[in-house]
Amino acid sequence: MMSLPFFLFACGLGAAWSDWRNMAMGFWFAGLVTLLVLFRFHATEVLNIGL
Amino acid sequence: MTPANALRLNAIGLLAICFVLSFALADQLLYDDLPCPLCLLQRMGFFAAGFGIALNLVLRVRTAHYGIAILGAVCGAAVSLRQVALHVVPGTGSYGDAFLGYHFYTWAFIVFCLIIAGTGLMLLFERQFAGEPEVSDLVLMDKPTRRLAQTAFLLFGFLAVANGVSTVLECGAGMCADNPTSYQLLDKE
Repeated sequence: MMSLPFFLFACGLGAAWSDWRNMAMGFWFAGLVTLLVLFRFHATEVLNIGL
Repeated sequence: MTPANALRLNAIGLLAICFVLSFALADQLLYDDLPCPLCLLQRMGFFAAGFGIALNLVLRVRTAHYGIAILGAVCGAAVSLRQVALHVVPGTGSYGDAFLGYHFYTWAFIVFCLIIAGTGLMLLFERQFAGEPEVSDLVLMDKPTRRLAQTAFLLFGFLAVANGVSTVLECGAGMCADNPTSYQLLDKE
């Protein structure tokens, strides 16, 4: 699951190399959303900072 | 700034990101310093940011591609800032080795800020967007520039696949452990 964004970005780069811009942008967007979802799952602890 | 100079600067920028990613991967492989989940998310941030620069290299230099780089860097910076905040209070420990006095997540935050600033700076030069419409800037470039851009792009792609494979070995198909000590798929038990 954690490796998914890397492969999505790699697929996007492959699409860009083949001149498929829209597909490349789609892979990038999917990778970015997956990154943010994974971040949401890993940012669970309350920060120990008193501001 | 001419499209040729913009392309050269984009290639150098992508090579700089490749250097950061290679450094992290080398540290992981040579010193067995396994990346934590937040460390992996920061690497993804570098790929999300570098993706826009890579699109500039093989397609055309466009404002949208610079936008991709900024959005990716903002996401990566958010992750690294979160990790800095986890360890910023004295006594809360740290993760991984320090390099030149800063931990990797602090360096990551600094580099993400540099990417955002550098991309903003590049957007100031509008002549770079005056290339032939619907034609890759790359095919119009001299051979050294083309080689530089292709090398940066291919190295970036290789690092994306290498990081994907390493993450599969470390975490399997699920989520990674908070403090990984070994590669899940390489454990003999």
